Amino acid sequence: MASDGESKRLKDDQGHYLDAGFWRAVWVMAVISVVLMAVVVAYPIDPWFLPEASTTSVDIDKLFKFSMFFSVPILVFVNGFLIYFAIRYRRRPEDPDSAIGSQIHDHRALETWWTVVPAVLMVTLAVLSYFVIPEYYPTGQAAASAVTMEAIGHKFYYEFRYPGLRNSVMNDAHLPIGVPVTMDITSLESSQDVNNEAVIHSFWVPEFRIKQDMVPGMVVPLHFTPRETGTFRIVCTEFCGLGHSHMWGKVIVDSRSDFDKWYADQKRSEQAEAKGVQPISLAPGDAGAGQTTFNAKCVACHKAAPFEQKLVGPGLGNLFHDPSHPNLVTGKPATPANVADIIEHGAHGDMGTMPPMQVNGLSQKDVANLVAYLQTLHK
Amino acid sequence: MSVADLGHVRTGHIHPPPDTFVKKYVFSLDHKVIGVQYFITSGLFFVLAGLLAELMRAQLTGPNNHVLSVATYNEAFSVHGSAMVWLVTIPVLTGAFGNLIMPLQIGARDVAFPWLNMVSFWMFPPAGILLFGSFLFGAPQAGWTEYPPISLQMPFGTSMWCMAIFLIGVSSTITGINFLVTIVKMRAPGMTWTRMPLFVWATGVTAFLSFIATANLSAALAGLFIERTFGVPFYDPAKGGSPVLWQHVFWFYSHPAVYIMILPAFGIVSEVLPTFCRRPIFGYKAIAYSSVSIGLLSFMVWAHHMFTSGLQHWEQFAFMALTMLIAIPTGIKIFSWLATMWGAKIHLCSPLLFVLGFLSTFTFGGITGVLLASVPVDIHEHATYFVVAHLHYVLFGGSMFGIFAGLYYWWPKMTGRLLDERLAKLHFWLMFISFNATFLPMHWIGLHGMPRRVATYDPIYASTNLFVSISAFVLGLSFLIFAYNALRSAKQGEVAGPNPWGGRTLEWMISSPAPYYNFDEIPIVLSGPYDYGKPLPYANIKPELATVPTH
Ligand code: HEC
Ligand code: HEM
Ligand SMILES: [Cu+2]
Ligand SMILES: [Cu+2]
Repeated sequence: MASDGESKRLKDDQGHYLDAGFWRAVWVMAVISVVLMAVVVAYPIDPWFLPEASTTSVDIDKLFKFSMFFSVPILVFVNGFLIYFAIRYRRRPEDPDSAIGSQIHDHRALETWWTVVPAVLMVTLAVLSYFVIPEYYPTGQAAASAVTMEAIGHKFYYEFRYPGLRNSVMNDAHLPIGVPVTMDITSLESSQDVNNEAVIHSFWVPEFRIKQDMVPGMVVPLHFTPRETGTFRIVCTEFCGLGHSHMWGKVIVDSRSDFDKWYADQKRSEQAEAKGVQPISLAPGDAGAGQTTFNAKCVACHKAAPFEQKLVGPGLGNLFHDPSHPNLVTGKPATPANVADIIEHGAHGDMGTMPPMQVNGLSQKDVANLVAYLQTLHK
Repeated sequence: MSVADLGHVRTGHIHPPPDTFVKKYVFSLDHKVIGVQYFITSGLFFVLAGLLAELMRAQLTGPNNHVLSVATYNEAFSVHGSAMVWLVTIPVLTGAFGNLIMPLQIGARDVAFPWLNMVSFWMFPPAGILLFGSFLFGAPQAGWTEYPPISLQMPFGTSMWCMAIFLIGVSSTITGINFLVTIVKMRAPGMTWTRMPLFVWATGVTAFLSFIATANLSAALAGLFIERTFGVPFYDPAKGGSPVLWQHVFWFYSHPAVYIMILPAFGIVSEVLPTFCRRPIFGYKAIAYSSVSIGLLSFMVWAHHMFTSGLQHWEQFAFMALTMLIAIPTGIKIFSWLATMWGAKIHLCSPLLFVLGFLSTFTFGGITGVLLASVPVDIHEHATYFVVAHLHYVLFGGSMFGIFAGLYYWWPKMTGRLLDERLAKLHFWLMFISFNATFLPMHWIGLHGMPRRVATYDPIYASTNLFVSISAFVLGLSFLIFAYNALRSAKQGEVAGPNPWGGRTLEWMISSPAPYYNFDEIPIVLSGPYDYGKPLPYANIKPELATVPTH
């Protein structure tokens, strides 16, 4: 509370600084603040805005709400006083040119309050935040007890390595609900790559509220536990080149039994592959369905136009009918089998990387349809 | 202190005015002409960088648009960001306002090193030409931060970017030294530290930051250039370099740089408020010293841009805590400005309107800054449209609104004529509303999952992005009102007279535009600048000018 002397000073020359109008304005702002603060507390982020699909996300949202909770009155009072003062103390037409405002230079109590209150809020926020950090960057025990897998950023897709699976899983990671995961996050190292293409990517699952940059040469363990089933986006947030805008993956959180089924399927197809029975998908495809797939999955990087009209990759309009480019980027002739091979396994050349079918989310059937569709093009 | 105690009054030697066009307007040594040169040059770059922004927004009107190719989009945001930071905001606030106003406010006849001042201006246009010229050689694509390794893999334009920013850096370092010496050595007799106008305080701290921090940027850029050109591995992990090294050195400059971009705007606000409130500024010392503490703290928070880069746990905590500390002096400033309006006699003229806009939008940007400082919350928000929104709230809502407040305020001192108030108010309202309509919704889509630096997006964000783009086009139009007003004032603007607003700092005690060599006799300062209601605190001022007329 201001001492007697000080409140006298606040009233000095014109005597109306703390008048009824002032308190009325304060009341209005207080009521607006309280209403908005109540909205902040009550607003169900999950499901109204974004699912809270990991245990950490619940705590991060609490921090977010706490910050909003004290930000709201600050915003209301700053803007409120701004408007109130601008109207209340505007110069009136009858005021002489020489009219001046209050002569108050400072006010110790007021200034102490507006230093101490924000300081207390900041300390509280810092302390609360401090306790959330170890939830996703754990040390020792918690990290060790979780299932450890690897996520590797490539231009422009994600590779996941599971314990017990020989083959990597591309782009779409399956995770069981309720099982703590420690994901070792990194990026492809350039020394492994002919074109020196190592770059920083980022692994962000908005619904999990976690993000970690994938820095070449650096492995950072990120810890989380999925708590809702569903399909959630993985988004790259570090600029990584022409494909950055499209660098999306998925986390599919399954029930325990669904996950086990998926895992067993992966294992089975690995064994089939080891026996050499991977089928080449050259069953006759459906060009119409192929066109739909092309528009959904390929137009980000390819036009159905002549070779020279490049986006990320070459135009595919004359793929099978181009005398100036009789060979594919792989150097092989443009036969349906060789094109299917590129779509299945990807390619890597001067223009960049053509991702393999897992990354583009294609089935064997889709590949066949795409080849059929590409054969119909003639521009 | 009486006038007699002040000791000698410097008269100095006065050179004859330059007689040729080239000496007068091109290689001028006059701080006022150099200030205007900065304004015109940055104004031009502002138009170009703004057009790039409108192109970006055109591309983003819908998902999977082909207005720009992906590569061109990347070039657009990289050059837009780099230009807005290094060719617009920093040069306008330091080179232009600092040069034009600071020497007048301390009662000096010029800066300490006029020739250096001219040199540092002339590094600026070539830097701009290099940056925009890079479009011919494959402009940089990795944003204004140009993180390696990707910036090592881009065509020659990125090397031009290095050269451009290096030049700007050298220019800014020189200007920093020049301003520091000027403020320390050339204040009019009697102008003690606590009698300095607050814009001079802000310019002084900014000069210190430019002088100390910019050298780090130059080092980082030299490294990038050498690695790109000669393959010496500083940053490439495959050859034993470290990409995170760049991030540390870059942000060790670029965080202070965000204060280089806001402290002078704080200074402008602190000048405009007492003038149009007709009362002493509330908490002069609190505002002055908080500038100093913000300046010092700004060197200790750089890694808050790197919370997702793999910092140690304790590093994250330390940088979070230090960042939150900055909120306290910033809060002190905002509350002191508000208190200045309390019990005031408010003349709601255009400069004050822009200051009120500043207070509203900058406070909002400051609040989202606190949200970003909390490590766990930042982990979610980092590198999304939430950050794009935050940075425009502080850079556009803060620096740009401050710049326009300063332009409307000092335009008569610069040109001798007033801008039209009706057009000015129209400009303000259009800019204020469309600014918020453009950048407020970005917080939303960012939190919901839209990353920054993308040429396309998930269709669920289509309607918000369309709304944002339309608002951005209106925002672009609002600047045309200013351009028209500025051109119009040359012929039809009302003649301003020495002191149209009733200011009390020294620049208002001389005729408009300020005469060659500013002060016939160096004024003597007897007390602080904002004491409305007391007689003017100056001696040696021409009495016919030292009145306080009002507008
Ligand atoms: C991320 C961008 C990207 C996507 C998505 C993509 N491609 Fe490609 N594609 C490329 C690049 C880059 C090349 C060239 C690689 C090279 O230079 O060797 C390429 C090459 C090809 C080629 C060989 C072209 C030739 O003339 O040799 C075919 C065929 C092809 N892609 C088909 C597809 C199909 C079908 C899809 C959709 C399922 C698709 N691509 C999706 C980037 C992409
Ligand atoms: C007409 C007004 C403006 C519009 C419509 C606009 C629009 C944009 C957009 C859409 C982006 C994000 C691009 C992306 O992440 O994909 C961006 C980035 C940026 N803008 Fe602006 N902007 C405007 C004015 C300004 C001003 C005045 C400043 C500074 C004073 C500024 C500084 C920046 C910076 C630093 C970036 C970051 C660039 C990067 O990601 O590297 N902008 N702007
Ligand atoms: Cu990316
Ligand atoms: Cu910073």
